[in-house]
Amino acid sequence: MDSTLPSGPAVRIEGLDKRYGSFHALRKVNLSVERGERIVICGPSGSGKSTLIRCINRLEEHEGGRITVLGTELNDDVGNIDGIRREVGMVFQHFNLFPHMTVLENCMIAPMIVRKRPRAEAETTARRFLAKVRIPEQAMKFPGQLSGGQQQRVAIARALCMQPQIMLFDEPTSALDPEMIAEVLDVMVTLAAEGMTMICVTHEMGFARRVADRVIFMDGGEIVEEAPPEEFFTSSRNERTRQFLSQVLGH
Amino acid sequence: MEMVVVAPPAPSRLEDLKRRFFATPLQALLSLISLTIMAFIVWKLLDWAVFSAVFTTTGGPEACQAAAGACWSVIAARWRIILFGLYPFEEQWRSALACVSVVVMTVLSCIPAFWTGRRIALIWGAGTGLYYVLMKGGVLGLPYVGEEAWGGLALTLFIFVTTCLIGFPLAICLALLRRSDLPWISRTTGLIIDGVRSLPLISILFTFAVVLPFALPQWLQGDKLYRVILGSALFFSAYQAEIVRGGMQGVPAGQEEAAMALGMSYWQRIGRIVLPQAMRNALPATINQFVISFKETSLVVIVGFFEILASGNAAYGTGEWRFAYVEVYAFIAFIYFIFVFSLSRYGAYLERRMAVGER
Repeated sequence: MDSTLPSGPAVRIEGLDKRYGSFHALRKVNLSVERGERIVICGPSGSGKSTLIRCINRLEEHEGGRITVLGTELNDDVGNIDGIRREVGMVFQHFNLFPHMTVLENCMIAPMIVRKRPRAEAETTARRFLAKVRIPEQAMKFPGQLSGGQQQRVAIARALCMQPQIMLFDEPTSALDPEMIAEVLDVMVTLAAEGMTMICVTHEMGFARRVADRVIFMDGGEIVEEAPPEEFFTSSRNERTRQFLSQVLGH
Repeated sequence: MEMVVVAPPAPSRLEDLKRRFFATPLQALLSLISLTIMAFIVWKLLDWAVFSAVFTTTGGPEACQAAAGACWSVIAARWRIILFGLYPFEEQWRSALACVSVVVMTVLSCIPAFWTGRRIALIWGAGTGLYYVLMKGGVLGLPYVGEEAWGGLALTLFIFVTTCLIGFPLAICLALLRRSDLPWISRTTGLIIDGVRSLPLISILFTFAVVLPFALPQWLQGDKLYRVILGSALFFSAYQAEIVRGGMQGVPAGQEEAAMALGMSYWQRIGRIVLPQAMRNALPATINQFVISFKETSLVVIVGFFEILASGNAAYGTGEWRFAYVEVYAFIAFIYFIFVFSLSRYGAYLERRMAVGER
């Protein structure tokens, strides 16, 4: 990794507060993520987990508290926001691939127009990451011609082409048919093994057990519990956590 | 057990016709009656337009009027007025070349290979520049011809093309402003769009041509033609802005979020992600708007311009050809048809092209 990077945690969140009208989405959330750390965030719907990671790259604006990403504070400074977004990749529940571009163009556009890389270099990078997510042969197809699992892997490749330092995953497997979940999780496991800093909102508890350094349980806009996976799954202290776990692991 | 799939034999064309139109005696009778009526109409039309028609000017208007069919002689005698209006007779080749330059410019800018900012700007700059120099003259040894003498097809094309060239970018600006997060910007833009849309085009043209000069200082007025074009572009943009906005509403919010998450700036998101998809959604309505605008150019006659329809009026209005108005209007309708039909076919081509990659 680049030696000129500022030291300190990858993401530091202090006293984060967010409301939608009268709904209190996040209440004084504190979270620190080290470089290379893999975090899994889970919790019932409406608990604020998606809002939390969408605040990290400013898809949501926070109202109180401080967010520092890679040493830069997120505030109204557009330069800061753009700088952070270049270094933070994101994968969405509904893929959000650009339907009017081929798979290859989806992967090339941001490196070319945001990072100003030459076309040839962007294409080489794009093909390398498409090979990494195991769909190099789909490069010239349009997103609409691919299965959900393939689309999500393209979305991961698209984010990786910007060569980000942090990856955010917002329920990446929730919109997939069951038989396609594994192919996406496999890619995420490989990525984790390579030392990528990852923050994943997911209900895939097997994935959490296998790769997470810490599992975070949120409810009602608060972090209720955070622990390493073995401890989290076997001896969670909080009643709400145990209830949630019995629901997602029960079947 | 092995399954053998036998496809039913594809019905021949004749059998298909029989099945569709002659299944029962009553259906056969109705089919025959319809066919007879159609044949009769087609025969009558052909007889009028071709077999009994007069094509030459040798006999003059009298011989022509006596003929049973169409009198196309009026076109042969008067086509220069229809196409070029009041433009000086010896200089009409310039008007013809100017038409060609506008048509070539339009055709070139419809070809995807030219869709880069620089190429489009070059084509439009060269096309309109060439048109202006050819029509107006005063340079390169071309005698000066003022805008008030421009007319016919050349004027119709010029008004249409410049209306679109000015109106379309303006429409996109208005659509983006209406989408602004700042309420005072979006509300004001909404008010402007709705205001312009509530007025009839004729009143806008009249205001820009006749009323505006009283309100503007001399140096800002420009020729009446350019004020009329601005008015027409404003009208076009108000409608087109709503079409573009509708197209943008059809683009899922996730698209812009994904572009943001990749670090794209506002203009990159709009230019590369949102607008291309919005224009695909808005294409049918956009082509519709272009077609309407082409035909609405005929309204400039109200402020004293002789575009093609008004020139047609003048072509048969002079005594001797007064009886041949049907032929003149048929000819003008044919010219409108060529342009508008090409536009529609181009729209259909674009839709097919843009459908690539859709599920």
